[in-house]
Amino acid sequence: MLSVDRRWLYLILFVNIVIFLLAPLRMPASISPPVQKFYDEIEKLQPGDLVMISSNWSASTLAENQPQLEAVITHLMRKQARFTIISIEAQSRDISYRLAERITKEKGYQYGEQWAHFGFVPNLAVAIKGMVTDLPNTIKQDVRGIEVTKLPVVQGVKSLSDYKMIIDVTPSGTVPVWISYSPKNVKILYCPTSVMAAEAYTYLDSGQIKGMITGAKGAQEYEQLLGIKGLGAPFANTISFSHLLIIFFILLGNFAMLMNRLQARREA
Amino acid sequence: MSYQHAQDNWFAAIIIGFIALAVLVNIWRARRGKELYIRRIPGLDAIDEAIGRSTELGRPVTMIPGLTDFGVVAVQALTIFKYITKQIARFATPMRLLCGNPTVFAVAQEAIADAYNEAGRPDLYDPDNVRFLSDRQFAFASGVAGLIQRERVAANFMFGEFFAESLIFAETGNMVGAIQIAGTISFTQVPFFVAACDYTIIGDEFYATSAYLSREPVLLGSLVGQDIAKLLFALTTLGGVIAASIAGTDAPIIKLLGQPGGWEAFWNSVLGGGGQ
Amino acid sequence: MGMITNLMAQQTIWRLPEESRALFATLIVAGAFVLILGLIPVLQTLPPRGRRAIIVTVTFLAGLFFAAEFFLPVDWTAIFPKDDPKRNFLTPAIQPAQNVLQIIGALALGLGTFGLVRLHLRNAVQKRPQWGYSIVLLVSFVVMATLSILNTLAEKEIVERGPVLERAFSILFDYTLVQLDAAMFSLIAFYIFSAAYRAFRIRSVEASILMFTAMLVMIGVVPLGAQISPALPTIANWVLAQLNAPAQRAIEFGVGIGGLAMAIRLWLSLERGVT
Repeated sequence: MLSVDRRWLYLILFVNIVIFLLAPLRMPASISPPVQKFYDEIEKLQPGDLVMISSNWSASTLAENQPQLEAVITHLMRKQARFTIISIEAQSRDISYRLAERITKEKGYQYGEQWAHFGFVPNLAVAIKGMVTDLPNTIKQDVRGIEVTKLPVVQGVKSLSDYKMIIDVTPSGTVPVWISYSPKNVKILYCPTSVMAAEAYTYLDSGQIKGMITGAKGAQEYEQLLGIKGLGAPFANTISFSHLLIIFFILLGNFAMLMNRLQARREA
Repeated sequence: MSYQHAQDNWFAAIIIGFIALAVLVNIWRARRGKELYIRRIPGLDAIDEAIGRSTELGRPVTMIPGLTDFGVVAVQALTIFKYITKQIARFATPMRLLCGNPTVFAVAQEAIADAYNEAGRPDLYDPDNVRFLSDRQFAFASGVAGLIQRERVAANFMFGEFFAESLIFAETGNMVGAIQIAGTISFTQVPFFVAACDYTIIGDEFYATSAYLSREPVLLGSLVGQDIAKLLFALTTLGGVIAASIAGTDAPIIKLLGQPGGWEAFWNSVLGGGGQ
Repeated sequence: MGMITNLMAQQTIWRLPEESRALFATLIVAGAFVLILGLIPVLQTLPPRGRRAIIVTVTFLAGLFFAAEFFLPVDWTAIFPKDDPKRNFLTPAIQPAQNVLQIIGALALGLGTFGLVRLHLRNAVQKRPQWGYSIVLLVSFVVMATLSILNTLAEKEIVERGPVLERAFSILFDYTLVQLDAAMFSLIAFYIFSAAYRAFRIRSVEASILMFTAMLVMIGVVPLGAQISPALPTIANWVLAQLNAPAQRAIEFGVGIGGLAMAIRLWLSLERGVT
């Protein structure tokens, strides 16, 4: 048991994931405080409020970040808020643009009037510093090549201070950069992958971020609060049973180790 | 207002000044010959053991500085790798330094060439042993994993800033039976390294590594200065906890030190008779 | 002197005049080339101490710029009434400085790519072990680079986006690169399974505490935990907020201070490590 070939473990995990991904079993989630805070903050938005979404994820973290972004955009549209999207990764620019286009078309949100995508910026800290002082001259044009000054959605916007909120949907540690350089009157909400969430609790505790959706499970909780069906629930359920499997094998491994020790003692 | 300049929060700027002063004063003290103590770090003691094992097995050593851009973390990683290379050069052990950032690659080539020169073995330096694989995270990860598997490395050193690819490196190294020492400032990757590596160096032990390995007075002095700064932070936290427990978090003294808005807010709160 | 303060007040000292921008830019680039080409023989003829002095001075001045921009007060309206109270006279130069750093990074990318291609070309030509993989790399590199460049030119409408280009790029990017990225990330799930199975053993008191806490958090953060017991999500959130956060904070303090100390040593050339 202790020296089992790891490929058997991989096969067992693979079968587990496939079964529970395809199974129609759906468990409701208990709403965690960070997600409840996230939801409450967006609920406070008024129609016409401007929100910046920073979307930096690519295909590798699609399972965690896509449900988050879909739910966030749905909620913002429900509140009739205006939003702009920005990316610091080339792949994430395309992915977030296509996703936002699909969802906004379904709900009748007009590009340029109610939302826009600012495209790709190579250096986040420099971009934020520039946007704080002069947003139109920092961004210059959107992903479609239209000058930012000509977009109705950001008409009259001179700086990041004119935004109500920044939502960072990311698999990497970009939120400290937003916290460091963005204006203090702008609230920051965070949508990390589960791995990155651990280091965000300090910012949540100090109030530097106002709410957090963690991975697929956080997306499931958020979808539950919104009353929508998204990808968060099936992914979170699959993760549940994978965690259970890992715990089972950890306990099994320890049991095998204890049996080995007892046997060794008996033989000695 | 954002914290783009010191004027936005003079308290933070003063703290930075204090830390700089603590570091510089202790560097001065160390240069004057003061004996400074550094505690044992088991992971760093194991470096020589790992190199010895590689030499016995005749299999290469890999060094991975992570995906970080060229900066403080990369310089520290390359400093450590330069030390390791000098040890490797003594035994003519094969080595591979795999870079995921082109600027780090350019500097690494020079650093490793220097290391071989300083060890008196410039003939052992092969530029092909310092490689740039890719700056894309998972292309780099697959390149590193493939090389570790193909060459069946005996020792794997991972120092720097890592992200999701850390476990791919560590577990692949484990599969081929390599002895692995990892050091990172990335808090979220520490559990993966702890699970898959033999030794893990966490947080500011990473910055202490160069001082530990070289025992240079400047580096030891800097380390003592850092510890003094940490002590100040701890005392400030303790003081803040006591003050907040007694006076409450709305008390002027608490808000004074944490207020954004610069000097004006400070004077207003003092002269205005209360916090905002 | 009056002209300089005037330019500083108008923040135009960092911007080239609009009309003769191309001429000034050409002059600056040519001047930089001449300076660098002249500097190389000077550095080679200098003794090591002299070389070090130049390097230390340039390093110090480069770092001083960023430190000065941060520490100098921003409200200069008493001296320059037309100045913006949110920045000092160095602030507009930050963006050009960062642009320079990015250009250097791009040059370094070329250097790295050259090294990679040279290594694999040599492998293929000399038929070193596993040279077949080197051929695969070189072919993939050339094909992907060509299609990416053509795709970017098509986005800017410099070349026409034909159906062949669109299909080929889509196959390589959307259906190959993106999927391979996702597949590599998925490996982590399997690797953590084998790593956890191997590493989480009751070897000591601390290891046992670690293992049981990890299991509690693992089951508490997923929907299944709430089904087993409502206390599990509460315990998991408590561990994350009250145990994990302070530990995380402590490590971040140390890392931040260590980074600052290292930066000071590099700036003042007290760090001898790499160079």
